[in-house]
Amino acid sequence: MLKIANLTVTYPDETIGIDNVSLSVKDGDSVALIGANGAGKTSLIMSLVGALPSSGSVFAEGIKLSADTLNEIRTKIGVVFQDPDDQLFMPTIYENIAFGLYNMGVEEDEIKLRIDACLALLNITRLRDKTALKISGGEKRLVALATVLVMEPSIMLFDEPTAFLDPKARRNLIQVLNALPHTKLIATHDLSFAAETCSRSILIKNGKIFADGLSENVLYDIELMDQCGVEAIGANGRQLK
Amino acid sequence: MTDMSKKIAEMYSLEQLSAQSSYIHNLHPLVKIVSTAVYILCLLSFDRYTFLGMVPYALYPLLVIFLAKIPISIIFKRTLIALPFCLFAGISNVFIDRETAVQIGMFAISFGMLSLFVILLRTLLCVAAVLILVAVTPFRELTEELRRLHLPNIFITLLEMIYRYIGVLLEEAATMFTAYRLRSRFGKGVEMKHMGSFVGQLLLRSFDRAERVYGAMKCRGYALHDFNHIRNPFTLGDWCFLLVTCGIFLLLRWYASPYNSQGVF
Repeated sequence: MLKIANLTVTYPDETIGIDNVSLSVKDGDSVALIGANGAGKTSLIMSLVGALPSSGSVFAEGIKLSADTLNEIRTKIGVVFQDPDDQLFMPTIYENIAFGLYNMGVEEDEIKLRIDACLALLNITRLRDKTALKISGGEKRLVALATVLVMEPSIMLFDEPTAFLDPKARRNLIQVLNALPHTKLIATHDLSFAAETCSRSILIKNGKIFADGLSENVLYDIELMDQCGVEAIGANGRQLK
Repeated sequence: MTDMSKKIAEMYSLEQLSAQSSYIHNLHPLVKIVSTAVYILCLLSFDRYTFLGMVPYALYPLLVIFLAKIPISIIFKRTLIALPFCLFAGISNVFIDRETAVQIGMFAISFGMLSLFVILLRTLLCVAAVLILVAVTPFRELTEELRRLHLPNIFITLLEMIYRYIGVLLEEAATMFTAYRLRSRFGKGVEMKHMGSFVGQLLLRSFDRAERVYGAMKCRGYALHDFNHIRNPFTLGDWCFLLVTCGIFLLLRWYASPYNSQGVF
């Protein structure tokens, strides 16, 4: 379970990124974070793992985020970044996936087993010994997912997971995400993707929660979405104002 | 793929070789580090005219390349990069030290030439040994063993960061260069008048990207682990390789030393 209470993120220039946000996500739930550019989706995600300084409280699996619990929280919460290149900094795919496990102190034999299982789960075993420079955008996205998945977090945060993906790779990612039993918080502009992967959607505007409800209600509400500068599913360019 | 992308791929190709499996790859990393260190120390300990004494040492890289099934061309091409530097360092000896050392038929080899050959051979063998070490040992295992050997942590962290970020820097450069080339007048290299802003932007972009990469590393527990892995014990094969290689290196060195009356020179 992920619980956020009165979370506020203030940037060094005094701009407020997240403004007193409170929400909770039940175990196994998939929640979409929707909002226009600069609404605060990425800030919210990064603050949940202590990558951005924040005030308020974050609880993951009952553990409160603090300087003392940072290590533990980062084993509970995995983050898949918007640009997979940011996560693929080691020479080979195997080493990229193993990076987090080495840091967790997992033994070599266990690392090999976990990586092979993870690669097989995502159907990318063929990439094991390749370099990240020679794989496609869709494959990079799956490898970035594997780097986090292999650490077996209970909560997974995704920042724009469909960015740079072609329709086939996007479809593949939807299937992979729907098969994962983890608690998921997905920040995305891709509303149809959100509708297919998340039962609940949270609409963010200027760092605050503007709406929170079932995806089938929120994502198709043209008026509601228009107020946040987002085009609802089926709006086809229509705007109320 | 641009030239720059090819260079990045080439840079990491050695590391990719380290993921293979062979007798040499499966050796304990510490064994490979110690063998390489003893090899290099032996080569460095020769005086500047002992050329023939060093020649048998050339067998070690060849043997390891054969056993590890590494393409010899990859190591050879990279080793040649060091050639101009050692040539530059030793060329002056040819003109300064002209006294004849060896007469082979009508050819006289001066002490200066001999010392140039020694510098060349020594440098190429040492560089080849280090390249082979990298090609048969994953970089992470190397740095982890160096940590266990109690080398300063800051030195190893710097080594890791340079190794990781040089790829990031080159990738950013490749992206910028492609974008530049597509809109430049000549479609070739960066014009001198644009070089300042190009390099400045490159540094700013790389800095920004490096921050994001570091964020991703922290999210996966970087710097949280105190490297307390239990060291895997040496196997019989590890001990054999270590004793045989180091024994031969030292024996060859002793055989070529002036204390041995039957030394080569």
